[in-house]
Amino acid sequence: MKLRTKTALVCAAVLAASLTACAPGSSQSDAGPSAPASVDFNSFKGQTLTYVYFTDGPDEQATKDAIAKFEAVTGAKVNLQIVPFANLATSLQARLSAGNAPEVARVADWHPYADKEVDFKQYFGSNYPSEFTPGAAGTAMDSAGRMLAVPSDVTINGPMINVDAFKKAGVPVPAKWTWDELVASAKKVAAANNMPYAVAIDKSGNRLSTVLSQFGTVLVGPDGKNALDKDKAAKALTFFTDLVKSNVSPKDFWLGSGSKYTGANEIFLAGQVPVYLSGPWQVGAFAKSATFNWAAVPNPCQERCGGFPGGKFMIAFKDSKNPTLAAAFVQWMNRTENQREVDRSAYWLPTRKDLTDSGIEYANRQSDMSAFLSQIKATPSDTWTDANSPAFTASATSMINETDKVVAGKEDVQTAVENISAAIDKAIKAAGS
Amino acid sequence: MSVLAPDRARGLSAWMRGKTLAPYLFVLPNMVIFGVFTIWPAFNGFNLSFYDSSNGRTYRPVGTGNYSNILSDSQFWGVVQHTVLFTLGFVLLSTVLATALALMLNAQRRGRGALSAAYFLPVLISPVVVGIIWKAALDRTTGLVNEVLSAIGLGSPGWLVDSSLSLISIILVGTWIHLGFYAMILISGLQSIDTSLYEAARMDGASVWQSVRLITLPLLRPTLMVVIILATIAGFQAFDFVYTLTGGGPVGATTLIIQYIYENAFSYPIQYGLASAAAVILFVVVFAVTFVNYAIGRRSESI
Repeated sequence: MKLRTKTALVCAAVLAASLTACAPGSSQSDAGPSAPASVDFNSFKGQTLTYVYFTDGPDEQATKDAIAKFEAVTGAKVNLQIVPFANLATSLQARLSAGNAPEVARVADWHPYADKEVDFKQYFGSNYPSEFTPGAAGTAMDSAGRMLAVPSDVTINGPMINVDAFKKAGVPVPAKWTWDELVASAKKVAAANNMPYAVAIDKSGNRLSTVLSQFGTVLVGPDGKNALDKDKAAKALTFFTDLVKSNVSPKDFWLGSGSKYTGANEIFLAGQVPVYLSGPWQVGAFAKSATFNWAAVPNPCQERCGGFPGGKFMIAFKDSKNPTLAAAFVQWMNRTENQREVDRSAYWLPTRKDLTDSGIEYANRQSDMSAFLSQIKATPSDTWTDANSPAFTASATSMINETDKVVAGKEDVQTAVENISAAIDKAIKAAGS
Repeated sequence: MSVLAPDRARGLSAWMRGKTLAPYLFVLPNMVIFGVFTIWPAFNGFNLSFYDSSNGRTYRPVGTGNYSNILSDSQFWGVVQHTVLFTLGFVLLSTVLATALALMLNAQRRGRGALSAAYFLPVLISPVVVGIIWKAALDRTTGLVNEVLSAIGLGSPGWLVDSSLSLISIILVGTWIHLGFYAMILISGLQSIDTSLYEAARMDGASVWQSVRLITLPLLRPTLMVVIILATIAGFQAFDFVYTLTGGGPVGATTLIIQYIYENAFSYPIQYGLASAAAVILFVVVFAVTFVNYAIGRRSESI
């Protein structure tokens, strides 16, 4: 070996060894600034906060309008930074790691940043969570009772139908139906309209959890333990995979998207399916894009009724330059009048108790939004704790992967259920470590 | 203050005048960028592979735990199998087709530039876009490919949803992307072959195939080695177009090693340490395969 090669190898080894001896990560303290007893909204003039945001579409302008009002009222400046949802978690973690935390962020899951988040109860009192519905407030609290996020909008899964296709087939939509009745109706409508499929469901752990809940079980229980009832899960998976295997629900759509989340909205918009299970975030886009009459309808009931919840949160970082302004901004954005305005324009469902009770007057598609809103009350309470569990995402991902195997004929339902249950145990253990 | 001996001072002065220093100064900017954005992250990744982290901020040392977890993970071995099959198929197909294309283009007298540009075009398209385009073209019910096949009575294969066909589909699309680039490299190799050798062979009565087999391919071997090494690296690193084309499906049938690393690093549950360990393993394998390729190429040359 030549001397130069030897020298290069020795240098590389020394560099690797010295790096290995260094523990990665930051050594920042977790102790944030002590929270003030009250927040003075008149003290923010000339101050700036950064808001890292991802958008679902119509909410962007509504959010910008609300920010403009906040700036006018307080004299503070909000630097809105919109990032793609796919990059949100890595972007936030990188900023936290580099000591460059934004003041506020919009997230779908606040758990990964729990050690850096402001406890809103410290700023706005221990009764602050009671301004929100119990289900929504529960999704924002940790096991120690701290309110580490503010639920800014809630989603509830439910079906939407192609009204024109149902009318043409002469099939009525009842006020309450079972899964069997829904599928039978959808098949008739599909046949009458030459549609290739009867029911489409997004390839998503959250959406599949809707079916699971309707068959009577959830992944993670209110006590944080594995709550999967294997018999009920087997019934749910058998029902769903039979739909997909028989192409009543599009099989190629399910198998062709690999491990990625995929929405079936394009299949519905293309008029290829009369029933589509998704959620209220589709309303704004469908109001613009659908070339046929459509409507949101009640969820099917099996053992239980209702949909499955989800939602977005606003979080404030205690390591940011201005955590007090951050907490104030989040609280201001979620006051009754401000949340109402954003909900109206963005087709969001409210999280505040008063707005849920009074309802929201949307610019249009009122009956569809009301249909989704009515599903909140019918949704079992254990679905909220399930969706809020730090182990939910990993457990639901496993459920999707196992369902894939059953649909492809590589595994039977019983094995899939056993594997899902094992994955839930693993996810709970990982979340607690 | 130290005083330099006259000879040494003269040597340093000459060095400083640029006779020795100049080449290093020319490559310095590039090396700084390469060091900061490639070498340093690579070593950092090696370091991370000995830790466990779900957020990139707090790290727990786990020794070689990530490596033993990966090596005992059945999903990893499935991914390795797909990656090896993909790489073998991709290297073989792209090298053979690129050589054939290069020979044809090199023999072309008219329109060679336009044809070369047409074959090179896929290299210029974003792999993500390539994946989306081919996803539409290979769709079982609405895709262009199956429209043509069913029109001539060949049915509608599930190119992207049938486990046995999906790997073939990504090999074909990967070859389509890289074909023009490899052909360009091989054309430059063909043009460096002395034409008098072909004239001499023709005068000796050699057929076209004999000229190709006995003159072109042996003299093209160094260039072919470059293409094989580049294709091997591209095969092991394939991700972007596969992710948009099949998402790694159906049921993981097209999940390759980079997607395995990506999903462990950036999808829940996030495991930066495990992903880094998988990246280190990939580096070692690619380095070893490239080295063996290179060594075999050198040995063949010397024979």
